[in-house]
Amino acid sequence: MSGVAIELKDVSKHFGEKRAVDHVTFDVLEGQCYGLIGPNGAGKTTTFSMMCGFLFPTSGKLKVLGVNPSDPGVLKGKVGVLPQDAILPPMWPVGALLTYLGELSGLPSPQTEARAVLERVQLPETWAVQCGALSHGMGKRVAMAQALMGSPPVVFLDEPTAGLDPKIAASVRALIRELKGQHTVVVSSHNLQELEELCDATAILDKGRLVSAATMAEMTGATAEFRVQVASGAVPLSEVKALSGCRDAKVEANNVLCVHFDGQGVKPEEIITRVVKLLAERNVLILGVWRGKRLEEKVLQLT
Amino acid sequence: MDDLKEIGAVWRGETTRALKTGRVVVLLVLFLLFVGLALMGVGLLANQVVAGAMKTAPGVDAEQVKQGLMAAKKQFLMQFFTDDERLADSLAALPLVLLVVFKLTLRFVPLLIALMGFDQVAGEVGPKSIRYLIVRVRRSSIIFGKFLSQATIFTLLLTVCTLVMVLVSKILNPEFSAGDMTVWTLKLVGSSVVLALAYLSLTALCSAVVRQGAVALVLNIIGLFVIWFLALVGEYFRFPGEAVAGQLDLIRADSWAAYLRYASVWHFGQDLLHPGWARFASAALVHLGFAALFLGLAQLALKRRDL
Repeated sequence: MSGVAIELKDVSKHFGEKRAVDHVTFDVLEGQCYGLIGPNGAGKTTTFSMMCGFLFPTSGKLKVLGVNPSDPGVLKGKVGVLPQDAILPPMWPVGALLTYLGELSGLPSPQTEARAVLERVQLPETWAVQCGALSHGMGKRVAMAQALMGSPPVVFLDEPTAGLDPKIAASVRALIRELKGQHTVVVSSHNLQELEELCDATAILDKGRLVSAATMAEMTGATAEFRVQVASGAVPLSEVKALSGCRDAKVEANNVLCVHFDGQGVKPEEIITRVVKLLAERNVLILGVWRGKRLEEKVLQLT
Repeated sequence: MDDLKEIGAVWRGETTRALKTGRVVVLLVLFLLFVGLALMGVGLLANQVVAGAMKTAPGVDAEQVKQGLMAAKKQFLMQFFTDDERLADSLAALPLVLLVVFKLTLRFVPLLIALMGFDQVAGEVGPKSIRYLIVRVRRSSIIFGKFLSQATIFTLLLTVCTLVMVLVSKILNPEFSAGDMTVWTLKLVGSSVVLALAYLSLTALCSAVVRQGAVALVLNIIGLFVIWFLALVGEYFRFPGEAVAGQLDLIRADSWAAYLRYASVWHFGQDLLHPGWARFASAALVHLGFAALFLGLAQLALKRRDL
């Protein structure tokens, strides 16, 4: 899978005078897990909503699996959506609602599918429970379940772990990890650590404009830098800089050694091993090593 | 074909949901209370009129009293319901209590429809639960499916209430034969369902253009008042004295204001009980036309809206 699943070209959305999304362009490749990042009011949910066909773009070209999501009925069976703030109809029992939604999607056995997705989100016991009686976390997982019904090729998840306790959030992340590769997944979230962990590529939006769109490796500079958390000992900075393939090195706040290297000329594992070996020889104690700049830093730098 | 399947799926789901909620029961109770109250009031009044007629004419036999009452009924109908003699003749065959209560109920029907369906779309747009639907079905299927669901539920409610009216009328008027009962039940239910289609689609339209259910209800009531107002103004300016059965209403107008009544679906409601097929069919077509217009606008409004 390497074709373009979602294509946005110069897409804008205006609400009256306000430009919620302003000439945004990026592509999501098939099978990618793609993150939408940005501060509040950046235009993430508006972009997300246009991709799902909830909102109509004011201008620009938007295609999902080769079709315009604004056209009637074109997304049927092709996308699953977890909208951020859509309330599940409170009077429906969960099982009946999922069966109904499955029927609307044109699934051959909607009830069987409904039971299967409820199992998948670990909520089979809620089958007869009214949606209005579900806790926030349960409601979120039921909403997630409806997005997965029929195994659609594209899955949109808007803030999938917002408001969930850590255990449930971890299970949702595990579920998203399962989707990777088999489905194209677009995740909009404020949780940058989560996106860094899950996504193959990402777009950063700020004030409606696209600030950056790149693979996660490019975004975090994973091919060109790594960091070492030093516990104790003096870092031999000049010796590190002198190592083959090393471009630059500096000690940042909290005793973190940041090493820039030639991503094209040297393999990351080679330069990392050389640096760690040197530090060990100089009796520098190490707490951890990680590649690239943290996504959070990159986002803070860009927005 | 896909469209029909989608509409069918929305219709089934929405009807099942509606029948399981308390709102239908509340509306049925409200409807029955209204019918019961009207039956009691009108029944009591009708009995007093009959008893009074018998008392004031002690020497006259029952058949003559009956004929006198029939003439009085017809006069009453010509005074308050219609200036069409054929229609008045036809309606005079009905027990007065059934006729009056049914007519009162029809006045109540547009409001009942508004109460029943004001939030059918708006109630899903506000909390955004409509987003679960629009990635699965066309927006037009949502409008038509929900409309059909409302029509189904309303037909059930109306049938129950009409049966109650007819049965009570039979008890109060033993001469009302079983054959007449069957025919008139079908006529009354049929005509009111056709009449209701226009108001059901008006409710769908009001619900499709706003985000809050309460606003949709207010808008719907305003719409009903506009419809009633246009019919009333048109009727007021209508040239009197040329009530020729079967004649086109257009030639009976002497003022442009009289034409306003044609903009109101309410004006055509009466002919739905007309014994002449042409009058009935044209009234039914007008109702279907208004229904198609309102539904078309509702569909257009939802199709173009950000949700």
